[in-house]
Amino acid sequence: MENLAEEKKGTTLLMMGNDAIARGAMEAGVRVAAGYPGTPSSEIIEDLASVSKQLNMYVEWSVNEKVALEVAASASYAGLRSMAVMKQVGVNVASDFLLHLAQYGTRGGMVLVTCEDPGALSSTNEGESRPYSKMMEFPLIEPGNFQEAKDMTKWAFQLSEEIRNIVMVRSVTRLSHASSNVVLGELPEINTQPEFRYHSNLMDTMEGPIINLPGTVSFLHRSQQEKLKRVAEIYDECSFNVYTGPDRPELLLITSSACNLYSREAIQILGVQERVGILKLGTTWPLPPKLLEKHLASTENVLVVEEVLPFMEDNIKAFTASIGVRIGVKRFYGKADGTIPMVGESNPDVVLNALSKILSVKYEHVSTDYSKKAAEIAEKGAPPRALTFCPGCPHRASFWTIHTTLALGDREGFVCGDIGCYSLGAISSGFDTLKTLHSMGSGTGLASGFGKLGNLGLNKTVFSVCGDSTFYHAVMPSLVNAIHNRADLTLIVLDNSGTAMTGFQAHPGLEVNATGDNVPAVDIPAICRAMGAKVSVCDPFEIEKTQTVLLKAADDREGVKVVVLRQICALSPEKKGKKLYDMSVDEDICIGENCGCNRLCTRIFKCPGLIWDNEKKKAGIDEVICTGCGVCASICPSGAIKKKEVK
Amino acid sequence: MRTFGPKELLQDVRERGLCVECGACVSLCPYFKTHQGKTAMVFPCDLPEGRCYAYCPKAEVDLDELSMNRWGKLYETTPLGNYIQVLKTRAGKNAPAGEFQAGGSVSSIITFAMTQGIIDASVLTDREGLTPVPRLVTRTEDVIKCAQSKYTTAPTLEALNIAMHEGQGKLGVVGTPCQITALTQLRSNPLNLPDFSDPVSLVVGLFCTWALDARLLEPMLSKRLNIKNIKKMDIPPPPAEILVVETEKKRIEIPLDEIRPLIPKGCLICPDMTSEWADISVGVLENEPEWNTLIIRSESGLEVIERAVTEGWLITERLPEKSLQHLKIAAGNKKRRALTKAIEDKLLNNQGKNNRSSLRLRSEAVDKILEPL
Repeated sequence: MENLAEEKKGTTLLMMGNDAIARGAMEAGVRVAAGYPGTPSSEIIEDLASVSKQLNMYVEWSVNEKVALEVAASASYAGLRSMAVMKQVGVNVASDFLLHLAQYGTRGGMVLVTCEDPGALSSTNEGESRPYSKMMEFPLIEPGNFQEAKDMTKWAFQLSEEIRNIVMVRSVTRLSHASSNVVLGELPEINTQPEFRYHSNLMDTMEGPIINLPGTVSFLHRSQQEKLKRVAEIYDECSFNVYTGPDRPELLLITSSACNLYSREAIQILGVQERVGILKLGTTWPLPPKLLEKHLASTENVLVVEEVLPFMEDNIKAFTASIGVRIGVKRFYGKADGTIPMVGESNPDVVLNALSKILSVKYEHVSTDYSKKAAEIAEKGAPPRALTFCPGCPHRASFWTIHTTLALGDREGFVCGDIGCYSLGAISSGFDTLKTLHSMGSGTGLASGFGKLGNLGLNKTVFSVCGDSTFYHAVMPSLVNAIHNRADLTLIVLDNSGTAMTGFQAHPGLEVNATGDNVPAVDIPAICRAMGAKVSVCDPFEIEKTQTVLLKAADDREGVKVVVLRQICALSPEKKGKKLYDMSVDEDICIGENCGCNRLCTRIFKCPGLIWDNEKKKAGIDEVICTGCGVCASICPSGAIKKKEVK
Repeated sequence: MRTFGPKELLQDVRERGLCVECGACVSLCPYFKTHQGKTAMVFPCDLPEGRCYAYCPKAEVDLDELSMNRWGKLYETTPLGNYIQVLKTRAGKNAPAGEFQAGGSVSSIITFAMTQGIIDASVLTDREGLTPVPRLVTRTEDVIKCAQSKYTTAPTLEALNIAMHEGQGKLGVVGTPCQITALTQLRSNPLNLPDFSDPVSLVVGLFCTWALDARLLEPMLSKRLNIKNIKKMDIPPPPAEILVVETEKKRIEIPLDEIRPLIPKGCLICPDMTSEWADISVGVLENEPEWNTLIIRSESGLEVIERAVTEGWLITERLPEKSLQHLKIAAGNKKRRALTKAIEDKLLNNQGKNNRSSLRLRSEAVDKILEPL
């Protein structure tokens, strides 16, 4: 969001949850922020990068989330307020360091923002990070609306400094990426001089060296738990925990995060405000004991509504059991009993269905007649629209050639996939080429294993793919493993000069960083050569040449081959709006549906810039969508697709 | 003939293991390609009828229909098929010299036809190491590079398909019986394409009993010599029972028993030893290593031979009766073996819509061929 630092205290602005989180950090005087792009978190670092010079901050797109957390931690150790930002899976990457960070504690206020993706709208998993707070013993807070996204983030730094430990702020897609009005606070003048003190003794966590050692662990761990006890006390008085409803509700609905908004909407639609009390918890680990006990005692029935895991639900049940002698046994509804689905994103209908069932109130969200008609129309009239690569995307050309190579090789072959736009290599837009897909860097890790199974009898050609950003993030160690252990595999690095899937952020392969400064690029082919791989570099738009190189790699049974396919993303700022070629189809030559072509361009290649005229039975170019990359002309079997250079 | 599409081609030929890698289905379209002698479908095509299936010599080949189309009569049950004359031949004094397998007749006839303008270019088969390489030869001096027998399968017709696509006509083709069968189906325009024109002016067929899978032969020979330097391969006449492979420095012999497992299954149901659909068919002459056996089958073939003899490019003699008899016995045996195997594997004359055959031949002809001698 532009001008996020310009606006003054008291102004009301329409902004995304992520903008509100960024503004909250700014209002807390954050000085260092680091992260790795990941939907739905990316805008936060982008916002902070855009104001970094103005507010005298250091903002970085780190190589991966573990390093991002370490970079932010260094600032906290130096007495500055700092923040690390990532999506749910990033916390998994950062978790080893997080364990030690939380065990020792922090100095300057430090916040870990995790933006999560319930329903996996833009992820390969439906995981979440809140359980880390319990497992690694640090406080967790969850904003329940857009104003809180700002105010609670600001407060998190204060809380962190009070207890000297990291605070996790958890958001979800419908807060991070939706928008609402937010009233701004003050931007402070911060002149803290960073100072890293370490001359005192090992037990002095503010002035001693920051060491986790077998001898110090029990002391540190005990202090860590004392901190949590203090947090629980703070939470009991916290104004971000809000109750609305009757003193003795028929049903107590406990919720957090975006589910707060869904629950309020559901209660209002059903008109059950007199029967249901809603306790919105902003502080969800540790649980606020006195507050919870008070409300649990006021009812017999509890419904817990939260996103992804039954984290709050399980903790509240355990807590309820522990005070059972005082308040008795309660009836719980939630994910465990199926009232709220365990899988998929929550929404007002989920809560409506739950309330309708529990309170025996009839609710039909659409009439059965309407549902039936809608299903019929969707089946007949709505064409299936698969996810696809953009027109001009180099990945389409790369997968075209990779797929052909594996089909022509003298033994069957497969590709281990990785995370990025090129993950679509797993579906028809990428010619169903990928045969495994997990997490960042896992493609080459798996391939390193598959590449050794040849000795045990696996007779298949092993390929893996990764993007340029993914390469720095996680692939390098797997590559070293493969080379050192003499695995037989080919790694194809799809270098489109940016972290494209998440919004074209910078990474170490570029000469410009998050804050627009000139920086040295770290060369991928040079790294691979230094590791000891056989390296080639090609332009994937040059189909024939790339084919020759890939076939040679596929036929080579010795060790690790790396082929870097370098062509810039179609959406990159440099390329956008500039056509290399004007494309056209000569209808006299176009073979179309007949033997010899069978609509190769629109049936298999399927660039959105190509259209099939079902009346003329000829292919054509959509001039608005076509980006003029010229690749379709290379694959047209009759030469009907023509390209003319744009001067 | 019954024509189906690429999906059926994969089922009927690829999955049954009948592919002889002749190249007829390759480079007709973007879907079938070859790499190092192996044919593969690179992307899926779902057409109900395709030239790939129509041309394939192992898919629904109707021998009677093919013969009607080519010779105007039903398929000959006699061992050598339809022919005008059988001769003993070798390259004449005006033909360019070179390293020949035997008499050099094929190289001579092709070069002659090119110099005379009977053909403008020829589709031949070269070799790199053991990998067969289809070539469209346009210069006469390059013909000799493709001389000598390759004992492996070769996707020769890929070069023809590419040449046709580029609008070339008046082509000469040298090929094995399966390749010539595919070529003859192609020339009959089985899909009735309105803009089809026959690109071929002269067909020279080679004698063939079976071929070997190049990709399986390579590791076997690589252990014993440098395959890049192979100069000649030969199977001497019985009772030798060996394959001879020579480089400049080395000569190795491999018992035929060791290489018979490398014969593609498709060869075992092939009834054609002498390339029965060609204009001229050429093979070795047993016990006369510097001569060829040559069968003239068509009027145009006869004309080429007569001119070549007149111009001193070819020398012909009467073929000894004994040699002719031996040839007929060998060819007849191959027909018999092929039909027996085809019947055994249920690949002959299948009835029913979804029961497709590799071969079709009228039953009285089948009976005649299988009659005990």
